[in-house]
Amino acid sequence: MKKWIKIALIVGAIVLIAGSITVFWLFNKPHRDVTKEQGVQLSAQKLYDAFRTNEAQANKQYLDKAIEMTGEVAEVITNQDGNIVVNFKTNDPLFVINCTFKTNPGQLKPGQLITFKGICTGYIPDANVVINEGVLVK
Amino acid sequence: MNTMKLFLSLIISVVFFVNNTDAQKIFATRNGKVNFSAPSDEDVKAVNNEVTSRLADNGQMTFSLLMKGFKFKYAEMQEHFNDQYLESSKFPRADFKGTIVNLKEVNFSKDGSYKVSVKGDLTMHGVTKNITANGTLDIKAGKPVTACQFTVLMKDFKVDASSVTDKVSVDISCQYQ
Repeated sequence: MKKWIKIALIVGAIVLIAGSITVFWLFNKPHRDVTKEQGVQLSAQKLYDAFRTNEAQANKQYLDKAIEMTGEVAEVITNQDGNIVVNFKTNDPLFVINCTFKTNPGQLKPGQLITFKGICTGYIPDANVVINEGVLVK
Repeated sequence: MNTMKLFLSLIISVVFFVNNTDAQKIFATRNGKVNFSAPSDEDVKAVNNEVTSRLADNGQMTFSLLMKGFKFKYAEMQEHFNDQYLESSKFPRADFKGTIVNLKEVNFSKDGSYKVSVKGDLTMHGVTKNITANGTLDIKAGKPVTACQFTVLMKDFKVDASSVTDKVSVDISCQYQ
């Protein structure tokens, strides 16, 4: 066999394998599982204060991070896709930490003190900090 | 005396202004839903269930959502969307601020289904563009429910996703309290 054919075959095989791995990975890479991550521990009030005082800094610290947050339940609602959402109280009556559960946490009531772990997606001024894909810690 | 008059009229106008804003009704949600999908590839679709929206009976509407709140079926796509195409760490939020153009046709105090046209500015990926979208506004038991669809062209917002799609169709659904 001519040398260049050999090289072409080898290069072709490498490209094919790399391509298959990329495609396989594209469709099979698992989603983040927050239960396997160590969360940043803090209170709902502290998270709110951080974003209100300096959004850019808070984004650096908390955006996309696993957050293990403790706070008082203000209200429990169900979103349009049937997931449970808990709004945590802050000292600003118009502002909450909006947390969506990926698994049903069971019965929760306003006034209850709970710890929630999820991924922080950011801050919406004058409204809420959002955490989703979460689970109940206690 | 003139200063006195001026002062009085100022007080009166302030009182009236406050009264006016008090009379205005504002409906809100923190968990509205926005879907988008690429018409060319059925796998490219995502949903965000944490859309904050306010709707006032004077026709003003705002929507805010966090780019990192979009959930894709495939984790790798979600990563590309945030890191390469929308640069979500740099531009974490998308905002819309607009008004209902045909407000006269909507009666907020009467249950029913109203066709609305909304016009306003959509800011995403650091670019602001004026858009118009048509949808429905239903009043159910006194509470508004909105639904609307429109198309977003990637190039309008300087999003270079040409290898995936050049446009997405966006679907908004909000139930207000």
